Amino acid sequence: MPPQANCALPQGFQLDQYRIERQLSLGGFSIVYLANDAHGMPVAIKEYLPNSLALRKEGETEPQVTDEHRLAFRYGMKCFFEEGRALAKLMHPNVVRVLNFFRANGTVYMVMQFERGRTLHDYIRKHRGEVKEVLIRAVFARMLNGLREVHSHKLLHLDIKPANIYLRSDGTPVLLDFGAARQTLVSEQPVLKPMYTPGYAAPEQYERRDQLGPWTDIYSVGASLHACITGSPPPRADERLREDILQPLARTQAGRYSRQLLELTDWCLHLDPHQRPPSVYALQKALLQREHAAERPEHWFADLGTRLKSFIGRG
Amino acid sequence: MRFTIYQESRIGKRRSNQDRIAHCYSRDALLMIVADGMGGHLHGEVAAQIAVQRMTEQFQREARPTLPDPPLFLSRALDSAHHAILDDALDRQFPEAPRTTLVACVVQRGAAFWAHAGDSRLYLLRRGHLVTRTRDHSRTQLMIDQGLLLPEDAHHHPGRNRIYSCLGGNYTPQVEYSPRTPLRDGDLLALCSDGVWGATDDDGLVANLSAGVLSQAVPRVMDLAERNAGQSADNLSMVAMCWHDENAVGAASAESISTRTMDLDGFESRLDLSGTGSGAGGDLDEDDIERAIREINAAINKFDTQR
Repeated sequence: MPPQANCALPQGFQLDQYRIERQLSLGGFSIVYLANDAHGMPVAIKEYLPNSLALRKEGETEPQVTDEHRLAFRYGMKCFFEEGRALAKLMHPNVVRVLNFFRANGTVYMVMQFERGRTLHDYIRKHRGEVKEVLIRAVFARMLNGLREVHSHKLLHLDIKPANIYLRSDGTPVLLDFGAARQTLVSEQPVLKPMYTPGYAAPEQYERRDQLGPWTDIYSVGASLHACITGSPPPRADERLREDILQPLARTQAGRYSRQLLELTDWCLHLDPHQRPPSVYALQKALLQREHAAERPEHWFADLGTRLKSFIGRG
Repeated sequence: MRFTIYQESRIGKRRSNQDRIAHCYSRDALLMIVADGMGGHLHGEVAAQIAVQRMTEQFQREARPTLPDPPLFLSRALDSAHHAILDDALDRQFPEAPRTTLVACVVQRGAAFWAHAGDSRLYLLRRGHLVTRTRDHSRTQLMIDQGLLLPEDAHHHPGRNRIYSCLGGNYTPQVEYSPRTPLRDGDLLALCSDGVWGATDDDGLVANLSAGVLSQAVPRVMDLAERNAGQSADNLSMVAMCWHDENAVGAASAESISTRTMDLDGFESRLDLSGTGSGAGGDLDEDDIERAIREINAAINKFDTQR
C-alpha cells in the first residue's frame, strides 16, 4: 500500500513568526510553503516531513511517527540538517538563501528567501522548442556559477533539473532545492528512498551511488540543456544503460542551435562519467565562448567565415 | 594495571537516549561513569552529558598518572559536575536546572572507590557472587530500609523512580561514598542505569554478567533487560570492568588491556556522549537537534552581519 499523503498546514496557520499562505510544492521528503514573515515579507518554508515515516492527518498539526520509524525519522532529520548546514554556508546570488531554521510541531523547518519569477521548467513548457540559444547560454553560465559554489563546499546538488532552476523576474537563475543531503540518506537507511528525477538523474544515481561526484551534477546539467533544446529530458539513464537510444543532439538538432552548444550537451550526457566535462568550470567556459554565443546557425557561411578568419589569423 | 572493560548504551523504546557513559584511564588509574539524565525534567541528557564530560576532563587533569587522593577526586569532580550543570542552565536560561543521576568509580593501586547520587548502581561481583552494590537514593529504598516495603515488591512499586538525590536540580546532591575496596583477580565491577537493573533482578544480573567474556556478557544482560521490559524499555547503559592481577598466570583474557606500556601522561578514553544506542545508526537526541539548529542559525547570521 502506498503511504498516505501528508496534509499540508492550512492557510493562515501561524508557524513560529510566519503565517502560511499556501503550499508551493509537496515532495516525498518535505512540503514547501509560501508564507509571510512578521514584516509581511514573503518567504518559502520547507517542512521536513518524509512521507514514508511520518503522517500528518487532516486537521492535525503534529505528524505522527510510529515507534518503529522513530529512528529513521530522526536520521532523516539529520540529513535535513545537513541540507540546512550546506545552504547556510553558501551565500551566492545564484543559490537560494536560507534565512532561518527552527523547530516546531515535532519536526523542523527551513526558511528560505522567496523569489518572484518562474522555474525554467515552466519557461520551457511555454516556449517548447523555441528557447533561444542566447538565453540558454546566459541562464546556464550563471547557474553554473552557483553550482561551482556548491561544489567548492564539497557538496553535490544531485537533483538539478529545470524545475529546480528558478528564473527571477530579471532573468537571473537561482538554484533551488538542495538534494545534497539526500545522498547520505540513501546509503544507510533503506526506509528513505533515494530521490531523483528520471531523465535528469545520472546513471550512477540509479545503481552505483558510491560513485557520485561533480560529474553527476554535470550529467543533470546536460539533461537540463537537452530539455531546453528539445522540450523534454533525454531517456532515463537506467534505460540508456540497457539500450541507449539517445541520438547525439549534434545530429538530430543540427541547424537549430549552434553545433558547439549541441556537442557540449552531448558531452555532458555521456553515460561514462569520465567522458563528461572534467569540471563545471570547463563546462562553463565552453558555454561562455563568445564566438560561439554569437554564432547564428542559419548563417552557416558566416560561421564558416569566422572559422576561416581564425584560421587566417593564426597564419 | 590490567583489566578488561566493556561499555554499551541503548535507547530502549524511548524517544531519545538520555544516558551517558564513559570510561577513561591513565597508566595507573581508571575512571568509569554512568549518568542517567532525568527524563521527567527538562534536558536530562544535557545534565548527564555535562556531568560525564566534566568528570573525565577533571580526571585527565589530575590522574598524571595517579590520582593523589581518589575519594577527594570523586568528591570534587561530582561537586564540579553539579555546578557545571547549574551554570549551563543559567547560561541557556533554562527555567530550572536539568538533573542526572550519576555513579562513578575510580580504580587505582588495586583498589576501587566509588560514589553515587540517585539510582544508577554499581555492582561488585566476585567468583559469580554479589559482594556489594550501591543503595539507591530512592523513595522505595527508604521504605525498604524502614521495613515498609519488601525488596521483592520494590520492582513494581510506583515510587521506584522517585529519587531524592541527583546532580543538577534545585538541591545539593547527597553523594554517598564507598570505602576503599581492594580488588582481587577476576573481580567484576558493573555500573548501570536503572533501565538495566530495573528490568532484571540481582540474581539474573549477577548470573548473566559472571558467565563468559564481558563483551558478550554485557550485551546478554542488556538483551535480557530489554526483553523483560518489552515496550516500556527505558534507556539501558552499562560499563563493566573485570580486574586482572597483573602477576596471575593466565588470568588475563585476550580482550584485556594492560596499561603498563602507556605514557605517564597518556590517556585512553571512551565516551558515549552522542546518546546513540547500539544499531541506532547515528540517532539524534534532543540536544543534538538543538545544537544543529543553533549551528545553522549561527552560519546564517554570520552572513547577515557581514551584509
